[in-house]
Amino acid sequence: MTLATQPGGDNFYDRALERMDRLMLVIGIAGATTACLVFGWRIGGGFALGGGISYLNFYWLKKIVAGISELTAGAASRVSARGVVHRFVLRYFLMALVAFVILRVSRESLYGLFAGLFLPVGAVFCEAAYEVYRALRRDDA
Amino acid sequence: MRTLMRVLSNMFLALSALSFAVPAFAQGGETSATNWVAIAAGFSMAIASAGCGIGQGRATASATEALARNPSARAGIQFALILGLALIESLALYTLVIIFAKVK
Repeated sequence: MTLATQPGGDNFYDRALERMDRLMLVIGIAGATTACLVFGWRIGGGFALGGGISYLNFYWLKKIVAGISELTAGAASRVSARGVVHRFVLRYFLMALVAFVILRVSRESLYGLFAGLFLPVGAVFCEAAYEVYRALRRDDA
Repeated sequence: MRTLMRVLSNMFLALSALSFAVPAFAQGGETSATNWVAIAAGFSMAIASAGCGIGQGRATASATEALARNPSARAGIQFALILGLALIESLALYTLVIIFAKVK
């Protein structure tokens, strides 16, 4: 194991975020398919939509945090403080708009949407479990 | 930047004031019963949002302070901040889900 891939190395954190992105995709597709088969297409569609929104939300969150850290560290930055604030607020408006439209169309889909919005939490827990597994294996070796 | 923040804070203040305009209060007549569940749901969402807002603000403030002190630890601080903000946001979502499940 190189220093960069050990906990604390820059590469380690980048890989963890990449793994979480992949986990969100996997959990989202598996969850939407299962919800479609078990509860029907309305809840499955809501779950897929919620998963898509949370994926986009997480992507923007990463961009915003990167922007904030660039601004704080005083690095040569392409991001503006105004853009960071706009994006931060836009996320909430987007989520509220989609929830409102879905509430008008079908209440069943709303439950799927809520379940889909918890995708990042699921990905974080999966990543935590993976890290624990890696740490235990390292201790054994 | 300061002007933008002032506009945003005014906008959120106005929105929070509007959220108190519960339709139940506007319904006159002798037969109207106060819908305490809806009012409690509104207050619980407000408390949850305020708590999450404070949490996110504190997390971001601490992270930026840590970044300013030690820019070489940027990757680790950024990672912790992303996870923290995502988990704090999910707490407000938990409240929203419980409200939708309980309020008919």
